[in-house]
Amino acid sequence: MLRLILQRLAMAVPTLLLISIAVFAMIRLIPGDPALLMLGDMADPTRLAALRQSLGLDQPLAVQYLIWLKAVLSGDLGVSITSGQAVLPLILERFSVSATIVLSAVLLAALIAVPLGMLAAWKQDSFLDLGLVTSATLLLSVPGFWMGLLLLYVFGLELGWFPVVGYVSFKEDFGKALAYVVLPIATLVLHESGVIIRMARASTIEVLRLDYIAHARAKGLSERSVLWGHALRNAFAPTWTLIGLILGNLLGGIAVIETVFTIPGIGRLMVDSIYARDYPVLQGSLLLITFVYVLVNLLVDLMYPLFDPRVKI
Amino acid sequence: MKSSLKNALALGLIALVGAGAAQAQTLRLALNSDIRSLDPGVNRDDRTDEVLLHMVEGLMAYGEKGEVKPLLAQKVDVSADGLTYTFTLRQGVTFHNGEPLTSADVLWSWNRDMDPKTQWRCLPEFDGSGLSKVTSVTAPDPQTVVMQLDKPSGMFLATLARTDCGGTAVLQKASVNAQGEFVQPIGTGPYQMGEWKRGQYISLNRFDKYQSLPGARDGYVGGKQALVDEVRFVIIPDQATVKAALFSGDLDMAEVTETDLPEVKAHANLKVSTAPSATMNVLMFQTRDPLLKDPRIRQAIAAAIDIDQLVATTSNGFGVANNSIISVASNYYSAAEKAGFKYDPAKATELLRQAGYNGQPLTIVANRRSMVPSYDLAIIAQAMLQAVGMNVNVEVMEWGTQLERYQSGRYQAMSFTYSARFDPALSFEQVTGNKDKEPRKAWDDPQATELLGQALREGDVAKRQAIFDQLHKRFIDQVPMIVMYNGLDIMALNQKVEGYNSWIGQKPRLWGVSIKP
Repeated sequence: MLRLILQRLAMAVPTLLLISIAVFAMIRLIPGDPALLMLGDMADPTRLAALRQSLGLDQPLAVQYLIWLKAVLSGDLGVSITSGQAVLPLILERFSVSATIVLSAVLLAALIAVPLGMLAAWKQDSFLDLGLVTSATLLLSVPGFWMGLLLLYVFGLELGWFPVVGYVSFKEDFGKALAYVVLPIATLVLHESGVIIRMARASTIEVLRLDYIAHARAKGLSERSVLWGHALRNAFAPTWTLIGLILGNLLGGIAVIETVFTIPGIGRLMVDSIYARDYPVLQGSLLLITFVYVLVNLLVDLMYPLFDPRVKI
Repeated sequence: MKSSLKNALALGLIALVGAGAAQAQTLRLALNSDIRSLDPGVNRDDRTDEVLLHMVEGLMAYGEKGEVKPLLAQKVDVSADGLTYTFTLRQGVTFHNGEPLTSADVLWSWNRDMDPKTQWRCLPEFDGSGLSKVTSVTAPDPQTVVMQLDKPSGMFLATLARTDCGGTAVLQKASVNAQGEFVQPIGTGPYQMGEWKRGQYISLNRFDKYQSLPGARDGYVGGKQALVDEVRFVIIPDQATVKAALFSGDLDMAEVTETDLPEVKAHANLKVSTAPSATMNVLMFQTRDPLLKDPRIRQAIAAAIDIDQLVATTSNGFGVANNSIISVASNYYSAAEKAGFKYDPAKATELLRQAGYNGQPLTIVANRRSMVPSYDLAIIAQAMLQAVGMNVNVEVMEWGTQLERYQSGRYQAMSFTYSARFDPALSFEQVTGNKDKEPRKAWDDPQATELLGQALREGDVAKRQAIFDQLHKRFIDQVPMIVMYNGLDIMALNQKVEGYNSWIGQKPRLWGVSIKP
């Protein structure tokens, strides 16, 4: 297992390198640079050239990349062009905010959606199944930001149960923090539950058709026992892969939710960095997210044998 | 049982939320993005200036109509040759750390600003790269500062007061640490630094020992007493969330767009304060473009656009058409500046015919930022130009990309919003100049550049007015761009907020503002 972990981590290095080159090149292909955005409509050529020089943007692209890469290899992700903050602590702080919300949401979504998906499969073609499938399709079809605004409107504005804007970290005040993250977590749970319900249902239906389930039923086992004792583990394996993918995607992609709920997470940081052409922050954030994605997938793979005994590591 | 549990949960949550909103004397205001730094005039943007100018002050500042007045200076004496400026400081002013303001602080702040390492934005204005050079700054006694220029400049005091220069803030030297690194602004403003939670909010606390000028609020001068314990700028990038927070009472005030205005006005808990600002919404032309280099085409475009209707539509009826570079709120906005373009589609058609227009395409570049009318303006202008037979497209791009096009001059027409300038000479300077040297300049007319030079050097108000009137006439005749209207400073306020007013400077001023219990 250790060998696999090391092997996979080693494989992540060229991935990260390629990502870094792609990100570096792509962000610079967008017209406009941080100096221009900082000076706005008052940018006279002399001042612009001076600012570009002070930011190191007058160097050839390859040189800029190598300077950045050399610093990254020594653990220094640079300094934000817009705020002057060191990039590493900044992105770690913002990532922890996103991760708290995403992990809670995915855990809750899995706890709710997997049993519901299996229930739908068990009661296939019943009204319950139809209701669950329809709800799931609706939930995954509704854009996340719209769902967020709807929840904000109903529970923040109309009922006044939750604050509409702001954020308090759990370290500061647990109770207040909870009030601020309930709606963003609920938005993600609702959206991702739709996807998970459909996957759990499909894979359970497939497993329920297998011979060993028929054999279990023939032995006279109760349906409950067949479902939870025999079908669950096998049916859960593909859903587990999906949960891993969702987790990876969300950890790098809840910018819209963070914007709607004013959560200072890494998604919002990246969007701001793109608009401000804050190259170091954007490059650092994407490197971190790629690394986390690799890590999440590795963990998913390592846990696979727990659900499917046929898989050996 | 279930119902009781639900009620208990709801009550618990309400209590949690209620606990968060219990600070009655905190004034909460939305910012659409975080500030860049705490160092005035260094790493800054409009939001940064907006926040920092509550904490720092300079020798001079802008009044309500954009006129320059003393702030930390009690008076300014200018020598007959216009080269020596003697500032007498106000008595009894103290910094946030309790230290008294003296000329040594002014000298220290100036030297720090003029050190290239500080990267003060306005250094080129005073080091000889601009109009004039400050050759020496001395402090002959604790209440006097003398600044010497190499040549006269009508813009010297106005530049000192500029908000993007951080008002040339006078800081106490404890603002930097032993290593010379900037820590936080210790200024003389009505609020002092509270807490900056990056990406979340920045809060400022009332400075109890603030020495206010007498009288009512007057731009950045006049009475500036803080009436609330804390002001909190909450960072909310999404405009829909801003509105929801205003409606729910989670925010006390926020800048809103013309589009949102009717909805905000109709809400029982809210009221609005509006004023024209010095920002300019324009349709600018690339006068070197093969199609647009013919002034008759540009004049035809100006005649084809019903500017009153365009302004009424894009501003939801709240804007006032103004074809002048000078803001309608400026003291220099006179009868001459009111003479603008006239809607005359027949004349437009005739001018197009004379110019030999034959359906050549015209592309208007626009952006869709929420707080500017760039896109709406472009779309309406497109429809009006199509009505006189022009072939017009609108190309929407992201702001950074549009800015690059603006800077390089690579566009045919562009729907653009210029940032605010208080002094008309600076407004003209934004658009006038040699395109070979500065491609961003829309108006390349040597005679206009010469007139602008005179306005920048001239200090006499009447003489400046005459120059601006001449510039305006040439501008309307040549149509390098069509100024449609000045932006609107629209602040939505909770009914409990008292004492606030919008103004030409657009940036909110939170002194003299209170919350009704």
